[in-house]
Amino acid sequence: MSWTAFLWRNLARNKLRSALTGSAIALAIALVCFLATMPEGLERLLDSVAANTRIVVHDSAGVAYDWMPYAYVEKIRAMRGVVGAASWTWFGGAYRSEEGVSFPNMAVEPDAVGVVWADWHIDPAVLAEFARRRDGAVVGRGTMERYRWKVGDQVTLQAEGYGRMALTFTIVGEIPLQRAPHFLFQREYLEQAMAARKWHLDGTGMIWLRVDDPARVDPLMREIDDTFRNSEAQTASETEKSFFRSQFSALEGLALLITIVAALLAVCIVFIAANTASMTVRERMREIAILKAIGFSRRQVFAMLIGEATLLATLAGALGAGASLGLSRLARAASGGWNAQLGPLSWFIVTNTILVEGLFLAFFVGLISGVVPSLGAARRGVAETLREVF
Amino acid sequence: MIQLEDVSRVYRRGADEVRALDHVSLSIERGRFVALMGPSGSGKSTLLHLLAGLDRPSEGRVTVAGRVLNELSEDELASFRAQHVGFIFQFFNLIPVLSARENVELPLLLTKLGKADRRERANTALRVVGLGERAEHMPGEMSGGEQQRVAIARAIVSDPEIVVADEPTGDLDAKNAAEILALLRDLRREFGKTVVMVTHDARGEQFVDEIHHLDKGLLDRTVPGGAQVSRSEPKASEDRQVGA
Repeated sequence: MSWTAFLWRNLARNKLRSALTGSAIALAIALVCFLATMPEGLERLLDSVAANTRIVVHDSAGVAYDWMPYAYVEKIRAMRGVVGAASWTWFGGAYRSEEGVSFPNMAVEPDAVGVVWADWHIDPAVLAEFARRRDGAVVGRGTMERYRWKVGDQVTLQAEGYGRMALTFTIVGEIPLQRAPHFLFQREYLEQAMAARKWHLDGTGMIWLRVDDPARVDPLMREIDDTFRNSEAQTASETEKSFFRSQFSALEGLALLITIVAALLAVCIVFIAANTASMTVRERMREIAILKAIGFSRRQVFAMLIGEATLLATLAGALGAGASLGLSRLARAASGGWNAQLGPLSWFIVTNTILVEGLFLAFFVGLISGVVPSLGAARRGVAETLREVF
Repeated sequence: MIQLEDVSRVYRRGADEVRALDHVSLSIERGRFVALMGPSGSGKSTLLHLLAGLDRPSEGRVTVAGRVLNELSEDELASFRAQHVGFIFQFFNLIPVLSARENVELPLLLTKLGKADRRERANTALRVVGLGERAEHMPGEMSGGEQQRVAIARAIVSDPEIVVADEPTGDLDAKNAAEILALLRDLRREFGKTVVMVTHDARGEQFVDEIHHLDKGLLDRTVPGGAQVSRSEPKASEDRQVGA
């Protein structure tokens, strides 16, 4: 029999207790490992959705506060290095009134869509039909699947912000991206509907543009903002990645909150494991006294008890961290980066580094939880214990 | 071999002092089988703990195998016990999750012996106590007498000069008690061990060389044991052959 075998046998003496404690630790470590993917996962997510040559321009007061004159679109299109630009006007129509606005629906210039969002790879035939048909709409695959729409379907959206205006669209094709929930339709269609109500659509919420060279992005953003600095609506230009990051800032705050909760959870797990270690030591006082009597030193008794606590926690941690790694890889393999059910979850990848960090955390949970009871048992005098237990 | 000089042991219980041993002097020669007897609270277990290096005296001096135990640190005492003393307790005290052989191997984990040597020595010790065939049995699968014999094998596996036994027959029926006492006597007779036993069991008297009676922490009297007085062989029922 070796020392390791001895530790192992001791761990296995109360299988249910060891299994329950191990499961609690494994679950906590799996959770911590997954949460550790948040910062990198968000960055990866931004990289995946944001092109490095796309710029968004909005009013300097913020996206939600004011519109920019529609004339800005043409001025921007005329700037050097701009491949294409499209206005982006929020309609805010609800498909089912009880759901409210359940996907972003925007008025755009159809001719610009294929240029500004070339990386969406929308079928040219679809783009041609979109440009031809005034009530046409192109819809993201996620939204198409969600509502089981198909090309040719007619869909009516009602927008509270436009005096309960209801517009009926004909779906002419899809945006072949799971992660794109957009519903895009012709700006001209909205202009005409508004004109029928004696309204005039003369502004846009945002302008998206694509530049020919990533190196031109920063200078162009400066140029745009400088151009409109003394205009009626000052602009703020930012990269698509920066724009999405600001949209995800609330999510980052949530991630921080979850991380704090996970840290507290880890502390709770330390207490649970410490309680288990204390119970184990208390139940084995007689055995520990016998071991000391036959020559085990305080240091050896301490090493044995802390070894048991650490072994259990590390094994459980390996299980938890391994499970989180396996699940994240499975999710990634299953979805290829985006999935209607998983959403962006598959971007949060448990890396080998996180796996090792999880293992170390589990090791320290075992170490910390075992210190006090192990030290107490090791320090206790053998004669004193023998008098008490015999 | 074992020398106690004017040894006292005082415990504190709250504000009170309990004098468990009161200026006891005692000498036990090598290769003797000695019984410490007396009523409960007489100090016999305390005396056993002191001479086995489990406890330290409040006063006096304890010398065992040439070492003055008072002067040893806790770690040195542990090392001393591992090398020089084998322990047998009343309630067998085997580790329930280890087999008989693994229990016997435990003290050898503290030595530099390799795995195969440890295993071989444990098997030999089990054969000495007549349990060679039950080496892989778990304690829960063994009778009280068998468990106590495993405990004896564990006590002798590291070949200590001294074996101390605290009420080794206290939890056994008459037949098993006699077998254990005969086994302890054989440790002295065949292996030259010094055996010190605390017992209430009057049957033990006939197996030992000398009996030290204690009362209220004082060494009351010392008398020769049955083995010393009669020098006769044990009765047939007690005379068992240990499998060596």
